[in-house]
Amino acid sequence: MDKKLRLQIITPQRPVLDKEVDFVALPAYEGEMGVLPGHIQYVAKLNYGILRYKAGEEEGTFAVMGGFAEIEHNTVSVFAEDAALEEEIDEEAEKQRLEQAKATLSGKGNELDIELAEIEIKRALLLLKVKNHKSKF
Amino acid sequence: MESLRDIRQQIKAIKSTQQIMLTMKMISSARIKKAQEQMEQGRPFAQKMAVMIDNLRHDIEDPTSAIHSSPAYKFFDNTGTDPNARALIMITADKGLCGAFNTVVIRETLKWIRQNDDKEKYIFVIGKKGRDFLRRLKAPRTTIIGELIGIFPKASYAHASIIKDAIVKVGFQKKVGVFDIIYNDFKSMASQNLINKTFLPFDFDEIPGQEDLSNFIFEPNMLEIFLTLIPRFMTATIYRFLLESQAAELAARMNAMEAASKNAGEIIDGLSVKLNKVRQESITNEITEIVSGVEALKN
Repeated sequence: MDKKLRLQIITPQRPVLDKEVDFVALPAYEGEMGVLPGHIQYVAKLNYGILRYKAGEEEGTFAVMGGFAEIEHNTVSVFAEDAALEEEIDEEAEKQRLEQAKATLSGKGNELDIELAEIEIKRALLLLKVKNHKSKF
Repeated sequence: MESLRDIRQQIKAIKSTQQIMLTMKMISSARIKKAQEQMEQGRPFAQKMAVMIDNLRHDIEDPTSAIHSSPAYKFFDNTGTDPNARALIMITADKGLCGAFNTVVIRETLKWIRQNDDKEKYIFVIGKKGRDFLRRLKAPRTTIIGELIGIFPKASYAHASIIKDAIVKVGFQKKVGVFDIIYNDFKSMASQNLINKTFLPFDFDEIPGQEDLSNFIFEPNMLEIFLTLIPRFMTATIYRFLLESQAAELAARMNAMEAASKNAGEIIDGLSVKLNKVRQESITNEITEIVSGVEALKN
């Protein structure tokens, strides 16, 4: 297999990744979806979930939060609300954030704080899940 | 006449104020780099959302498509909405000391309220200055549908998402079709542009697009993708407005503080001249007194 895929992960905050890879597994809406070079043109809605890629011997795992992916001419563009590389997730910090957000929810915060806390909880839970996820290549 | 001590005290007070202004200017200029970077980094996402929407234009405008008959179509066409309702997103700063930054937005908002006098008005306000203004104004037939205070200089996508939720809610519940936005656009370090434009319904001509999506496969289907796309596009657009305003506020503050500290410097110069004059006068007086005393003793 000489052809490669170009994987781009873009979030509203920043472009997260732009890399040549051999294989990508996306957390598509109706189940995990594998992409190899030469894939048909495709637009898929994404879930909150785990994105994995393989580039040679290197493997990477990302937490991806919603959005969608576009596959076109061997380029996979992932547009997610947020994305985090597994190695960069600080488990302890996320646990603390989760606790803090839960405390905000149970307390008497104003509407804004509660909405932000809900987003925070969803995010922290996913990041913790990704952190404890064992690669299945 | 003022005494030497009074003038010295005045100079000291102005100097310490000037010090504060210089510090504020430095803080703003340090933050502005970050704000600009944030704008830069958010651009690819917003652009792509816009391009995707434009690529679906054909299907959006086709009256037989599923998208056309979905409720989200109202964001492209305001038929069927209440013509006597209008909404506004107003972005000001939380703090003053940034020149005309808040004033121009408030003045424009006032104009907007007068123009839509006979209509039911819904305003989402960002920034303490704008919120306080609207609360004081208590304009008739005007509802504040939401407010975000204290988000600058750390505006995030989550904040934009909250605004989006609020306007979608009012859009469906109150059948509001037209949403305007008034904010300051960051043009350059030296200037900010006041923008007053219609945000919804979307104007296709403002969105750049070139690809053809006709031979793409959509999962689960095109409508589902479109419904995923629309809120993200709206949020990304609002996020950009927030970031523009954030950077513009910092730039405005930087300029205002620079001008203010320059003015303070001029006042200090003036006072120093006065101080020297008063001091010399008193010395002259003392000498005259001594000399005349000596003369008196001689006689």
